[in-house]
Formats: sequence, C-alpha cells, structure tokens
Amino acid sequence: MELTTATNFIPLDALDVTYLLVVGFIGGLVSGFIGSGGAFVLTPAMMSMGVPGIVAVASNICHKFPKALVGAIKRAKYGQVDVRLGIVVGVSAEAGVLYGAHIQEIIHSSFGDAGSNLYVSLAFVIVLGIIGSYVLWDAMKTRRATGDEPEKVSRIARWVQSVHIPGTMVYFKSLDARVSVLFTIPLGFATGMLAATIAVGGFIGVPAMHYILGAPALMASATELVTAFVMGLGGTIKFSWSGLVDIRLAMIILAGSLFGVQLGAIGTTYVKAHMIKLVMGTIMVLVLFSRALAIPVYLSELELIDTLDPHLSSALLNISFVVLIAALASGAAIVFAALWRGISASRREIALAGTAFAPDVVATPASPQLSPLGRFERFLLATDGSEYSAGAVREALRMAGKCGARVRAISVVTGGDTELYAMGEQLITKELNTARAHLDDVQRQASAAGVACESEATQSNQVYQEIAAQAEKMQADLIVMGRRGRHGLARLMVGPSTVRVIGHARCNVLVVPRAAELVGRRFIVASDGSRYGDAAAVTAARLAKLCHTPITVVSVTRPEHSKERKREAHQIVGRIVSFLKQEGVVVEGIVPHGRPDEVIVQTANAKNSDLIILGSRGRTGLERVLLGGTSERVIDQARCAVLAVKSA
Amino acid sequence: MTRATRYGIASLALYFLLYFFEDSVLEFTSRGGWYFIAPVVIAFVFSYFHGAFTSYFWDTLGIKAKK
Repeated sequence: MELTTATNFIPLDALDVTYLLVVGFIGGLVSGFIGSGGAFVLTPAMMSMGVPGIVAVASNICHKFPKALVGAIKRAKYGQVDVRLGIVVGVSAEAGVLYGAHIQEIIHSSFGDAGSNLYVSLAFVIVLGIIGSYVLWDAMKTRRATGDEPEKVSRIARWVQSVHIPGTMVYFKSLDARVSVLFTIPLGFATGMLAATIAVGGFIGVPAMHYILGAPALMASATELVTAFVMGLGGTIKFSWSGLVDIRLAMIILAGSLFGVQLGAIGTTYVKAHMIKLVMGTIMVLVLFSRALAIPVYLSELELIDTLDPHLSSALLNISFVVLIAALASGAAIVFAALWRGISASRREIALAGTAFAPDVVATPASPQLSPLGRFERFLLATDGSEYSAGAVREALRMAGKCGARVRAISVVTGGDTELYAMGEQLITKELNTARAHLDDVQRQASAAGVACESEATQSNQVYQEIAAQAEKMQADLIVMGRRGRHGLARLMVGPSTVRVIGHARCNVLVVPRAAELVGRRFIVASDGSRYGDAAAVTAARLAKLCHTPITVVSVTRPEHSKERKREAHQIVGRIVSFLKQEGVVVEGIVPHGRPDEVIVQTANAKNSDLIILGSRGRTGLERVLLGGTSERVIDQARCAVLAVKSA
Repeated sequence: MTRATRYGIASLALYFLLYFFEDSVLEFTSRGGWYFIAPVVIAFVFSYFHGAFTSYFWDTLGIKAKK
C-alpha cells in the first residue's frame, strides 16, 4: 500500500497548493454559472504537476460531486433547479459513463495512448464543433434579435413535449410538461458518454435539456449540477474502490472551487439566459481549437500522417494547453464582468429607490413648480411586459423625455405568501426573471431616450395595491400603465388593475392603450365643474404648455338636466377656457349633450385627440361597482390615452 | 460570532487536520474496496462546512443574489 501511495500520490508544495486553489476557484466559478465545464482543465493541470493521469481523473471527479452538490443547493434556493430531471438524466448518464469508459478501454488496448488521445480529441472537435458553434450562434442571435424577450421553446422541444408514450411519461417542472423518459434516457446516456470521454458531460447535458427538452437555459444549467452530482458520486465510488483518489488534491481543489461555485451561482441571478449560452459557447469553441491543435500530433504518433518534428509536436501540445486555460479564463472573465455589471446596476437601483425618491428629497424638488397639480417630475411606470403595456412604456418614456421626469419602472408578479405554495416558488422565480428581463429592456429604451430610469420586479398578492404603494413610496406625480382589453362581466368580476389603481392611487394615472400615441395633436379636458374637473384643467394647462398642444374643453349635459344645469355647464367651460387662455394655451370650449362617457370619447375621436384629461373622484370598492364612473367608462372605450387627475 | 466565522473556523480546522494527518488520511482513503466510503464521507463533510462558509463569506462581503 505504501508503495502504491509513493507511486500514485506526489508530495505537494505551497506553489502546487496555490495553483490548485486558483484553478479550482476559476473552474468552480464557471461550473456554478453554466452548471458544468469548469473541471476539464483540472485533469491536465494536475497531470502537469506530475500527478499520474488516472489519479488526476479520480481526484478531479472526487472534487466535482461535492462542488456540484453545493452549487445545486445554492441554485435551488433561487428556484432554478429541477431535481427530478437532474436525477433522471444523472442516472442514465451513469450508464453512459460506464459505456464510455468501456469504449475508451477498447480503444486504448487496440491503439495505445495516441489512439486514445486521438479519439478524445476527435470527440472534442466533433461534439464541441457542432454543439458549441450552435450554442454560441444562438447566444448571439438571442442577444441581437430579441433582447430580453422570454426564451422561446425550440420547435424540436415542442415536438418532444407533444409525444405521448404511455407508461413512460414523467412530469418535469422545469419544462412544465410531461415528457417521455425514452427521450431523457438517451440524452443522459450521451451526457455520461461525453463525461467519460472529455470530462465535461454538461456540454451535451445543458444544451440537450434546453434545446431538446425545452427547459429554460438558466434552469438547464442549474439542473445539470444535479446530474453532475449523480455522475460525480458514481465516478468517485468507482475510482475510490480502486484506491485511486488523492483526497488531498480533491479537497484542495474543492477549497477554491466552492468559493467559485457560490459566486457563479450568485451571478446567474443577475444575468439573462443568453449569457449562460454565451459563456458556454465561448468555452466550447475555444476548447475545440485547443483540441484541434493537438490532433496532428496524435495522427503523427499513429503514423497516419508524416511524422512531425518533435519541437513542433511539443509546441502544438503546449499551445493546446494554453488555449485550454484561456478557454476557462475567458468564461470566468465573462462571468465576472456580468456579475460586476449586475451588482453595480442593482446597487444603483437600490440607492435610487432609497435616496432619490425619499420624502426628504421631495421637499426640495428640482423644478420651481410648487403645486402637486400638473407636476410631472416622477413617473411610476407599471408594466407587465405584455403587448398591453407596450403603449404605456413607449409613451411614459416619450412624456418623461418632454417633462424631464425620472421614471421608475415596476413589474408586479402576482402570487404573494398565500399563493406561494400553490404556484410553486420556482414558477414565481421564473416569472420574476422574465419580468426583470423585460424591465432591463425598458431601462435600455429609457437610456436610449436619455431618460433617467430605474426598475424593480416585485411580487404581491394584489397588483393594484403594490402599484399604489410603490407610487406612494416614491412620491410619484404620475402612474403610467396600459389597459387590458376586458369588457363586460369579466371586467366587473376580475376587476382590472388599471381601474383599481386609479381608485387607490393618490397621484394622477395615465392609461395608455397599446396603439395610442401621445404626440400632442389635441387634448380633451372634461369637467363637470367640480374641484376634480378644475384639477384636470390645471394639469391640462401644464401639459399643453409643455407639448404646445391645443385643448378642447368639454362639459357634457344630459338630456334630463335642468336648464339651470345646462347654463352652468356653459359657465364651467367658459371659466376653464379663460383660465387656459391666460396660461397661453390655444383652447376651444364645447357643451355637447348625451351620456358623458360616450360624448367625451366621440369628441376625442372626432377631434383626432391623443389625450383625454379628466378628474377622478377616486371611488373604490362597492361604491364604484354600484355607481360606475364616467372616467372608468371613458378609459374603457377611448382609443387614445386617458389621464385621470386626482385633486390635491 | 457570525455564522461566517463559525463555519470558517470549522472549515479551517478540517483542512488543518487533513494537513496534519496527511499521510494517515491518504493511506486510509486509498485502501480501495469498501474503504471507498472514506473519501466520499470526507468530501461530504468538507462540502458541508466549507460550502456554508463560502456562502456566508460572499454574503458578508455584500455579494448577494439579486432578489
């Protein structure tokens, strides 16, 4: 035994330990981020220290499974892991590992070291060439073409999910679908075979779970950690049964890699899905070059080509190793950069939320406007990322640009404490990630438009309460939101967020249908002579001056109104028209007859108006249901945007 | 004492033991056969303490996941 120890296990000095800690850390960082791919450099790194190949492989795999376990637990906390899928793929991967190792042994016994090396390198080049290029191409395409849209399930994954083979169907939450294990078993087997051949099964496992089964990229990379744990544990048992694991090497690498894997896992919460693909694709393509450089050497050793000069062979192998290190370093650099950017952006966001919108800052506003009426300095943009919010996002940014306002964009995911368990934490996390991706896109649009913008994805049981609370917290002057196209009974029963927000918010609310544009053609101000109508007029004056827009003042009389009331309507319009003229606004006044909501909307359409401004009484609850509200019906029917003004 | 410190000390102690009893540990874990359990258990124990430490370590530095 001592002889074995003396032969297999080399003495370690401080330099060796430092080297392993650093490489372990970088490998862990990449593994924590993409679920795999951080360990392939460790085997050659250990061998370069003089560790025998088989011990290097055994020790590498012994550090891999605890690392994968820690990474999987960490990412499970973020709701990214599908344990069932990981185990199902992992178990079939074990079979793949055994078969892969068996093939290796046959090749080794038939063609020797060079044949074995050539087989490994060819496997690298073919697998990474096809999958790596596709992953990288897809990462670029996703980033360029669709920005932050939610990931699309590939056509093949849709087909796989549609195939029903009785007795083999298993539900996987990452796919939110039942898939036959007859699909997952070959994928796991291939993952295991690759792991046995090139030490990184994840280069097949992650793309397979994402592109073939339809798991989101973040979940695929996290679930791969479970697969890696299962495979690693099996591999460790196999090698340590033969007494080949150098526990010192494994634990030293683990010391560095656990720092890395934690950091990599944290990094995934700051990035979009295409970053996972970018890191994975970059590493795969660089590794491909690394292995391709070594192929001529092995071909020469097998005498399949002319014998290479020993110096050239040595140079090619050295360059190949350097490129291998560079592949890992590049992946780690991208992860670091993404992490740095994400954390910095998040801290800026928190600082803005805590400081810029704090009440003490409100006491000294930047503009000279002292009245809250018609003040447009802080916008709360509520968006759900749907097509119904597209108009709200577009017009909030356009208006903020004109008014010099700051925008805080929020997206509220439904499902608070009570719903949490019903919905599943992972689903909520997925929703939040989608919301964040959308908000990042909004921020980019704001940045392009020169508008100061911050964003936050939140989670609440009641969307309207959360929006109203957020507006109150930041002391918003205006809430901008879209309008869902619900009508009739469904609208009454469901209670759309938009109308409820108007009821609960203390500030003005701008409702923008998806096709509406606020370009300043004409504003309609509707007033019933109440103080709410006056507030609408004051706000309209401010906006009209900002946008150089003419205004039509409307006060609608009903057929049942008395003559006195009709006379009063003319007085109301006359009063507002004179006020607006004093303010230097081009204005006209009309007193039409009919149902107020219908007449206001008809007038807006006839005048080709792009905004209706009206006062809101802010009714809530039963009162609203019983009485209805003109403003509510106008919002429902108008083609243009509607600004519901709250009186001070 | 913070959790980072507690787990950090435990982790350091484990690595110290590994260093101090290097030869014995290496001999015991490389016996093969049913002794395969030794490296597996060691790996689990190290990953528990060191894993918790590294998690709290980044937490203490303020590097946390985005909520």
